[in-house]
Amino acid sequence: MDSMQRQYEEGLLAWWGVILRGSKESDGPGEAMVLREMKKRSADFYNLLPECKDLDSLNRLKGEFVGRDGSHAAKLMDRLKTAPKEQKRDLGAAINGLKQGWEEGLKTRQAELGAAKKDLNALADRWDPSLPPPVPARGALHPLNRLMDRLVEVFRPLGFHVEEGPEVETEAHNFDGLNIPEDHSARASSDTFYLAAHPDLLLRTHTSPVQVRTLLRVAPELGTRGGIRFLAPGRVYRKDEIDPTHSPMFHQVEGMLVGHGIGMQHLKGTLEYALRALFGPHTEIRLRPSYFPFVEPGCEVDVSCPLCGAAGCRVCKGSGWVEILGAGLIHPNVLTYAGIDPTVWSGWAFGMGVERMAMMLSQTPDLRLFFENDQRFLQAMGGLD
Amino acid sequence: MWIERKALAAEIPAAAGLDTRRLCETLAALGFPVDGVAAREGTEALDVDITANRGDAMSHRGLARELAAKLQQPLAPLEASPAVEGAPGIDVRLETPACPVYSTAILELGMGDTPLEVQAFLLALESTPKRLPAVDASNELLHRFGHPTHAFDADRIRGAVAIRWARAGETLTTLDGVTRTLVAQDLVIADASGPIALAGVMGGDGTKVTEATRRVLLESAWFDPKTVRATARRHSLHTDASHRFGRGADPAMAPVARDLLVDRLRAWCGARLMGAWTVGSAPVAGAPVPLTETLLARVAGEPLSLAEAADALRRLGCSVDVETGGLRVIPPTWRHDLSIPEDLAEEVLRLRGYEHIPSVLPPLEGPPEPLSPSYLQRQRLARRLAHLGFHQTVTYGFISPEADVAFAAPGNPAEGRTLVNPLGQEYSVLRGSLLPSLRAAAEQNLRQGAREVRLFELAPTYASAPQGPVERFTLGMAWGGILDGEDYLSPARPVREADLSGIAQELGWDRLPEVRSLGEGLFGFELTVSELPPAEARVIPAFRPFSRFPAVERDLSLLVDLGQAYGALAAAMKAALPLDTLQDLRCVDVFRSKGLPEGRQAWLMRMRFQADRTLVGEEVDGWVAAALAAAESLGAKLRA
Repeated sequence: MDSMQRQYEEGLLAWWGVILRGSKESDGPGEAMVLREMKKRSADFYNLLPECKDLDSLNRLKGEFVGRDGSHAAKLMDRLKTAPKEQKRDLGAAINGLKQGWEEGLKTRQAELGAAKKDLNALADRWDPSLPPPVPARGALHPLNRLMDRLVEVFRPLGFHVEEGPEVETEAHNFDGLNIPEDHSARASSDTFYLAAHPDLLLRTHTSPVQVRTLLRVAPELGTRGGIRFLAPGRVYRKDEIDPTHSPMFHQVEGMLVGHGIGMQHLKGTLEYALRALFGPHTEIRLRPSYFPFVEPGCEVDVSCPLCGAAGCRVCKGSGWVEILGAGLIHPNVLTYAGIDPTVWSGWAFGMGVERMAMMLSQTPDLRLFFENDQRFLQAMGGLD
Repeated sequence: MWIERKALAAEIPAAAGLDTRRLCETLAALGFPVDGVAAREGTEALDVDITANRGDAMSHRGLARELAAKLQQPLAPLEASPAVEGAPGIDVRLETPACPVYSTAILELGMGDTPLEVQAFLLALESTPKRLPAVDASNELLHRFGHPTHAFDADRIRGAVAIRWARAGETLTTLDGVTRTLVAQDLVIADASGPIALAGVMGGDGTKVTEATRRVLLESAWFDPKTVRATARRHSLHTDASHRFGRGADPAMAPVARDLLVDRLRAWCGARLMGAWTVGSAPVAGAPVPLTETLLARVAGEPLSLAEAADALRRLGCSVDVETGGLRVIPPTWRHDLSIPEDLAEEVLRLRGYEHIPSVLPPLEGPPEPLSPSYLQRQRLARRLAHLGFHQTVTYGFISPEADVAFAAPGNPAEGRTLVNPLGQEYSVLRGSLLPSLRAAAEQNLRQGAREVRLFELAPTYASAPQGPVERFTLGMAWGGILDGEDYLSPARPVREADLSGIAQELGWDRLPEVRSLGEGLFGFELTVSELPPAEARVIPAFRPFSRFPAVERDLSLLVDLGQAYGALAAAMKAALPLDTLQDLRCVDVFRSKGLPEGRQAWLMRMRFQADRTLVGEEVDGWVAAALAAAESLGAKLRA
């Protein structure tokens, strides 16, 4: 705009000089008026031109100053008709010069506006990658299922498959077949849920009845199939009041292996493999003597604290070890119950609490969160592979 | 169980030299993990976890025995001056084998208090001293040596004492002040007036020792564990005594504990022994248990010498004969848990330390089994739904009868699925449907401010049947709230029933799912997983050729009645079209407006044709006309 203004000033001076050269004071007010008007209109034009921010206003300006009829340029031309003959040439050239200057100014401005509009259009069409994009809805597996899936994955390479059984069980499968004495307190109605219409039926208190069912089923073919090894994940029920560490329903994963000459070394070897696959290659395990009616010998298995690397933390209570599962060699009575000769076959079994492990790994403070099913919890804890 | 360190060291002096950490580790390695350590009464008390099979270890002496065997250090001698057995002062009759031995004594009490160190010992174990020497001494003995004893006020016993089965309906007011009605399976100590104690569980209030007691009758016996457990459970009366008798006390301790008690009362309050006698005798040990070298090696994972095994078992108090290829072992009187060879193998390993067990992966003896199709189907379904934006839930299998009846199928009465002893009414019925649980979880999420809730659960539902509830793996879905509208490209809209239908279709469900309203803008459906199409048996399905010629799409905007069933119209139109070229026919828009004739709506039907040749415009026009005619026969009209 500065350059245009300068051009105009130069142009104005040029024809102003021409006029002055040819005019006299005596020429009267007409010519001076034309000159003053030209000067004023031109100043107006160059003030208004940069104010035009779009083509519409520019076209209006164009109409006002250089249009065919009624524009300032047209009016000036009309005045030329009445100008003294000897001045007509110069004045005409001056008005034309003025008009040409305006037209050029309009053209330049139009080009500028066009370029700006193109830029805007380009901007509107351009994708702003920083705008939040549409993201497909994301769901989640439940953390308990995810952990059970993981355990199955860990044991698959060792040839374990999955066995399942009903949640409503008989006392025979849940207790008798597992060498649990008839007067064991676990059988009491204070510990175990029973069905009103079927006094012989209960809600299984562990996944171990799946052992009994599976062993009964495979007993006749055990020799031809070469033993059996399986996991039994599932839901179990015990009559515990609901609080931050107890739930009347929870999950267990049971593991069992039957073969020839199976001893404690095989239990230790398998668990060492599996727990390292689960918690990392530097994981250590520790077996401690313990007692469960369905195994002999029995043991508790500790794992070096997966959270602090056995350095000592809140989770392992500074000991470096966390109790993770119970296990042992299958009690001969359990094999005998299923029709398997314990002098020929032997095996091991383990059982672990899924919630306990999930709480330990995630440091979830309250067991009830796992059954509340808040989507925020499920997203954060379960997620998807 | 609380164990006081000084009292433990009194039984095994070597324990005094172990720091607390080492002591706890040693106990844990023996199978007795320590849950906590507390500083009390100027000493340390350990909270030791003792498994139910080890009644013999439920005392300071019992754990000392274990430590002595493990550390190969001597136990302190058991210092009791045997009382001279004399003529019975009171006639005691054993009427059942449930009490084979009963040692007793009568003492005249003098003046004196329970020694301060014994009071401190009891306090350290969270037991309150009664300041009655006969009571406190019995209590101290129980904790120190594991053998429960009892003191009666001898002057309040009427006539002869019998250890007999209760007569049904007899009553006894026990020390806790509760009057209990007994059954014939309760073993009691009785005098001429009736029961005066529940054997091995709790004494009677009428014969209890008080400040006024001058003469005491001491009882140190052995009671059948099963009987004691049953009585304790029947009367909800779990005591230190029933805990130990119920897990098997040492019958050989009966006279010894009596003597220890007499010694204490003499020392503490100058009691005078009037007479001591034992009725019956401890049951004789059972047959020896064999342990072969082969079995031991199998369990241990490596060959162990019989000498080493014999040594370990002897340290535990067993009497062991070493024979060719194995041992014959008679367990000590305090071990009721050693009855099969595996039990003995465990003892050998336990004393050796489980840390010495080798680590070996078991060899495969046969081919592994694949995962079952049912398990795989559920696992894949869960993953698929999670990828479709749904959250897997886990809810309890039991719900309230009210919640159940709203969704359970007719013909599935709750009676066959009701628990006799639920945690509460709201957890009393094994659910016939997953929807009540999903509804509760969805409502909870919406209350918590979730904009949209998408849940599913894969769990059994239960159907009542004569032989007991039948379980079927069921998929339940719940979807509600506002769908989309969370980004600048997709408009928001409420979740509709049709969205759930779409999911069912996506899962391959070939029927119309019964979409249920679960609340304001919340919908759900459930289906039996086994009724979903199974996964393809082939890894990759058979190839089916498809056309490479251009497809032709035509739209028909039809005015139909508001009540028109879409399925019928679509079927009629399809029937009029050549099936080999019709790729798809569907309603892609529904228009309902006041501008339409009253009672009518507009459906935009889209047809897609494709064949193994280029289709000619005229033939497609002909098909569309036929489809229109078919629609018109059902009352539809082409919308102008």
